[in-house]
Amino acid sequence: MRVSKKLAALFCVFGLGLLFSVPARAQNERAKELGTKIMCMCGGCTDAAGKCTHSGGAFAGPCQTAQNELKEVADRVSAGSSDDLVLQSFVQEYGPTVLISPPTRGFDLWAWLMPFLALLTGAVLVLFVVSKWKRRTALAPAPKISPELLSRVRHQTGGENDVD
Amino acid sequence: MDVIGSFALVLALLAAGYSLVAGIIGIRTQRPLLLKSARNAGLAIFPLVTIAVASLLTLFFENNFSIAYVVEHSNRALPAYYKFAALWSGQEGSLLFWSWLLSIFAFIALFSNRKKHPELMPYVAVILGGIQLFFLTLNNFVASPFGLVGVIGAAGAPHVVALADGHGLTPLLQYSEMDIHPPMLYLGYTGCTVPFAFALAALLGRYPGEKWIHITRRWTMVGWAFLSVGILLGGHWAYQVLGWGGYWAWDPVENASLLPWITETAFLHSVMMQEKRGMMRVWNVWLVFITYMLSILGTTLTRSGVVSSVHAFAQSSIGSWFFSFLAIILIVCVVAYWKNRDYLRTDNQLDSVVSRESSFLFNNLILLAACFAVLWGTLFPVLTEWVEGNKITVGPPFFNKVNIPIALFLLFLTGVGPLLAWRRTSLSSLKRNFAWPLAAGLFAGIVGFAFGDRDIYALVCLILAVFVTLTIFSEFFRGARVLSVRSGANLLSSVGQLTMRNTRRYGGYIVHFGMVLIFIGISGQAFNKNVQSKMQIGSSMNIGPYTLVCQNLDGASNANYTAERATIEVFKGNRSLMMLFPERRFYLASQVTQTIVALHSSLAQDIYIVYAGRSPDDNAPVIHAYINPLVRWIWLGGLVLVLGTVLALVPSRQPQIVLHAEREAAPAAAGASVPVTVLQGHD
Repeated sequence: MRVSKKLAALFCVFGLGLLFSVPARAQNERAKELGTKIMCMCGGCTDAAGKCTHSGGAFAGPCQTAQNELKEVADRVSAGSSDDLVLQSFVQEYGPTVLISPPTRGFDLWAWLMPFLALLTGAVLVLFVVSKWKRRTALAPAPKISPELLSRVRHQTGGENDVD
Repeated sequence: MDVIGSFALVLALLAAGYSLVAGIIGIRTQRPLLLKSARNAGLAIFPLVTIAVASLLTLFFENNFSIAYVVEHSNRALPAYYKFAALWSGQEGSLLFWSWLLSIFAFIALFSNRKKHPELMPYVAVILGGIQLFFLTLNNFVASPFGLVGVIGAAGAPHVVALADGHGLTPLLQYSEMDIHPPMLYLGYTGCTVPFAFALAALLGRYPGEKWIHITRRWTMVGWAFLSVGILLGGHWAYQVLGWGGYWAWDPVENASLLPWITETAFLHSVMMQEKRGMMRVWNVWLVFITYMLSILGTTLTRSGVVSSVHAFAQSSIGSWFFSFLAIILIVCVVAYWKNRDYLRTDNQLDSVVSRESSFLFNNLILLAACFAVLWGTLFPVLTEWVEGNKITVGPPFFNKVNIPIALFLLFLTGVGPLLAWRRTSLSSLKRNFAWPLAAGLFAGIVGFAFGDRDIYALVCLILAVFVTLTIFSEFFRGARVLSVRSGANLLSSVGQLTMRNTRRYGGYIVHFGMVLIFIGISGQAFNKNVQSKMQIGSSMNIGPYTLVCQNLDGASNANYTAERATIEVFKGNRSLMMLFPERRFYLASQVTQTIVALHSSLAQDIYIVYAGRSPDDNAPVIHAYINPLVRWIWLGGLVLVLGTVLALVPSRQPQIVLHAEREAAPAAAGASVPVTVLQGHD
């Protein structure tokens, strides 16, 4: 009986530990992830705070500034701030340049939209050109290659199905 | 020596000016002697700039510290082989180096064609003369490498002094690859000039026929090969020297080198449409123009300080010169095109959507979209600052998100394109060519998934890599089998025979295979691991299946630097695999610290160890370890790519027969015969 009580207590302790450790680990991961979304603002490198190796510095990272930023991220995450709120607090402190990628709102949204708009416009243009060229071909049919000539060419080019 | 160098630069400037002016007058008045003298002036630039470069190098080797550029980029303790790197490590020297490489290309282009293309070459000489005039103006008046160190004397008058020692070469450049990487990159950039000169000359002179496009293509391949090597060596240098565990950071200067490479790649594909079918002449001319302008934009970004980069030279006013030059080039191109647009008019026709032609169109679309995405991301911070007044950062996550899907689609086209026939591809041929490679690709994807690959991009890359590789190998196999059956030779020698019969085609396939290897290497990034830990002698850390044990910490020093070194033993289980020696050097002249990475590289993965230095908290040594899978495939892919390009430049052994349907002359009746043009293999 005494043994089973002890076991139950052990399970309780283990269970509670697990309960608290999982969110702590998740928080840690979140803080780590957020650290890669903000720039190191030391002015001496162009690294993300979470990846700062501060090339050329006395210590190959993270430098003091990056460490402070990462600590601030960790503090805010453990205080229950959402990802957006954490990033917003950094924007207020350093300006939008602290974010490693442009935000997806306002004028900065164009950074994300334009490459795909350009691709889309290009695709429409290519399709237009293809259909136009194809129409031209239909109006002026191409001369046929006689089977004799084709077999002679195949023979001479070693049976390759194409000639470059 | 500095006087000789300066004087040679002045003479080179005069020669370039004469080549431009005499060439223009010669073309307008059609005076052959004037045209010849303009060309000879263009040829004279190379030996003159060579004298200037030799003078500057001599000043470095003489440790002449009365020259400001030598003071800034060298010191007595600098090893001799790095004195070459000092030549291009600063703004002034690198511009002189640029002019020198440009003069080499111009010399080769003018000399090798001195008895050919009499209607085209005068224009080429004028354009090359004009471009060299711009760079030599910079060398003489804006960024002279022969400036002296002056101090203001007691009487207020400046006088020249020679310092006892220099500030030394940036430690980042004190790496053996720095003797090769910048020259390759610059050869790639300056290599864009000759195709540009030929394309613009053909347009201005309304040069008849398509010969100019063959010349342009071959020169573009040379420039493309150098740029490819330069970019890959840059990545390798960043990987080995910067110590952050990666090789590509989407830095503006890195992006700047990628832009002309992408448009050159697009041109090397679309040029085949013009050669085979006489199509896309306007597009091709503009691709050559844009490539040149992007090469100049690249160096403008590096030199002007418009964008912030670890690779950039110090911010200077030279940017306005480059922007003016870019504007002039753009105006010249637009005016030349507008006045001669009828010369480029073609009757483009397409027999089928499923054809080699349309695959090239989509290939160009994807490449140009990638180029635009990189350019847009690189310049967006400047645009935001201009529109909103505040600067933003466009970092690697943006470029990866935008470019990875585009690049994977391009990889897909790499497999599909070459298997589509010109004009029309039948459904049965599509099935025959694609069924097995596609099935094998999907099978590889399933195996990858079963082995734990959960990264969607890495998985798609694996499927496409297998698909493209098999399509390439099946092309070699099919052709070689036919040859083998006919000649009785074994399959391997038939592969060699087949390749040498059409070097351009099979060289191209080898380049594609090189790209596949590079893609495989890049996909390994999805599985990178890294751990950073404080380590004392005897302590250990785990990363992946390895245990790293710090066996020793010692130091070394010489006249150039003092170093701290860790000895790290790598274990897998209880088995000792190797000793690695990461180092941290403090360069005395420049007072800068630099990491020397310890690297063990295999096809499966790299074990990459950085001695990060001593922790600012407690002075304990800190080791940063990385496991980077598949990185070696990138460098291997680079080698294959260069091999393929060199092969494609070698003339084919036998003449090949090309079907050339001449619409205008051909009778419309079915079954009518079509003229057969026999071209030399290299055409």
